Amino acid sequence: MRFIRSVSDVFGYSPFDDLRKHAELAAKAVGLLERQFEAYKMNNMDEVEKLRDLIDDIEHQADIIKEEIRGKVTRSLLLSVDRHDLLNFLDVQDGIINYCEHVGHMLSFRRIKAPKKIMDEFSVLLSKLMETVNEYEELIDHMSRLVASSFSKKEVKEALEHVKRVEQHEHECDLIQIGLLNMIFNSDMDPIDAQLAILWVVHLGEIANYTARSADRFRLMILGRS
Amino acid sequence: MDLILILTLFAGLYMAWNIGANDAANSMATSYGSKALTLKQVIIIGSIMEFCGAFFFGKRVTHTIAKGIVPIDILDTHIVAIGALSALLSAGIFITIATYYHLPVSTSHSIVAAMLGFGLAVVSQGGIELDQIKWYILAKIVSSWIISPVLGAILSFAIFTLIRVTLFNYFDINLVERIFRYLQVGTACYVAFAHGSNDVANAVGPIAAALGYLGQETPVWVLLVGGLGISVGFATWGYRVIETVGKRITELTPTRGFSAEFATATTVLLASYFGMPISTTHTLVGSVIGVGLAGGLASVNLKIIQRIVASWLLTVPVACILSIAIYTILVIFI
Repeated sequence: MRFIRSVSDVFGYSPFDDLRKHAELAAKAVGLLERQFEAYKMNNMDEVEKLRDLIDDIEHQADIIKEEIRGKVTRSLLLSVDRHDLLNFLDVQDGIINYCEHVGHMLSFRRIKAPKKIMDEFSVLLSKLMETVNEYEELIDHMSRLVASSFSKKEVKEALEHVKRVEQHEHECDLIQIGLLNMIFNSDMDPIDAQLAILWVVHLGEIANYTARSADRFRLMILGRS
Repeated sequence: MDLILILTLFAGLYMAWNIGANDAANSMATSYGSKALTLKQVIIIGSIMEFCGAFFFGKRVTHTIAKGIVPIDILDTHIVAIGALSALLSAGIFITIATYYHLPVSTSHSIVAAMLGFGLAVVSQGGIELDQIKWYILAKIVSSWIISPVLGAILSFAIFTLIRVTLFNYFDINLVERIFRYLQVGTACYVAFAHGSNDVANAVGPIAAALGYLGQETPVWVLLVGGLGISVGFATWGYRVIETVGKRITELTPTRGFSAEFATATTVLLASYFGMPISTTHTLVGSVIGVGLAGGLASVNLKIIQRIVASWLLTVPVACILSIAIYTILVIFI
């Protein structure tokens, strides 16, 4: 509209909504990965490939959001958190989705033959992973309230409770991973199958690690805000 | 002579209308944006409060614009009338063009620069000496342009920090915001009153000068006309501006709007008390930045500071030169 002198330019781009969308995509990717693994166990390779492509799509969408945030969060914005803390947090959160994509592809490389108890243990790991990411999503859901309350002590305290729980879940993922590796190394699996299974374990572990690290970066961001 | 007075009156009314339509609307859009008031309520309250501010508290700044820059007492009344008309025309034209391009220019800065242009034109014709222009008052005015946004920022920073520390840490945010929705009605009135008291002068200062205003008191009817002009501008065009701006500033929740408005109104009213014609809009921007500095806003675009400084650098010479040009043409042809 013409003939307006306005003050609304003083309000800059707020990245918090986009950060939340990015986190939602991370959680969605882990959910798809869990379904993909179930399809793998059922020997349904068509479904495995379909889900791999879906995860690829999500990774791509997440990249677009990430680029948008990185492009818009310039130095001329006065944000309620430190700009570098925010971008660091975004980078780590992006790692969650990247590792989902890696595992998604690794599942479609080949059919491995593994004892049922190993495959079942993978399901246990994946559902623990899902728990971790769900807890993480709850943490990120606090973002809007944190911003609305200008990071009041009460809201920060509530948000930090979730960080502790994410870290606890991540620790439990570690324990399951160690057990899984132990089982694989002591099985009589084909060496290439074992090699691939180990890669899965390691990369699934990275998803948990990145989730916990991202929660930690979130904590740094809300505590270290200027 | 009569024609010039009538033209001056119309130009002044146009300025008043423009001030009401844009600046008043900007300063009250926060109340609409935070849903403290409906559009209709904003218009009614705004028009009444703007008028009251202009009528009851507008005389000091009007005095500054009319007599504070150019020593009109020692000039021929015909010259003063032409000068006042030139100043109003140039400020009005400049503001209209700048508004078309969405530039955050100030009516106060334009009229001060335009009055200076009139003074300089008289100097060039040998009417007065260069040092008879009241430079020390101009210096005070210019420093008030710099001080006012900074003071707005400091006040709003303090107010919002107080709200944050005392209320946000102990009470539910939604409850606090709900209560401030009502309190913000008060600050909306306050800001409209303050705005009217300061900006009415931009429209009626030159009219007062043209009328051969020689005494110390600003004629009451001049303020009445200015106040009405602002109110009419606010009611007839301001609502569009409020709607547009209000939708874009939803980040300014009632507590934030309260802080920014209280700081702005206090600063502007203080300036009116000292007779300093300042920009309410720039003060409001300063106040919003203050809330941002207190951690109240997700994101503040600091580029606006550059834009405001650029608008100062553009407004003063352009409005001044335009005023000199119009004055020269009028003197030659009338």
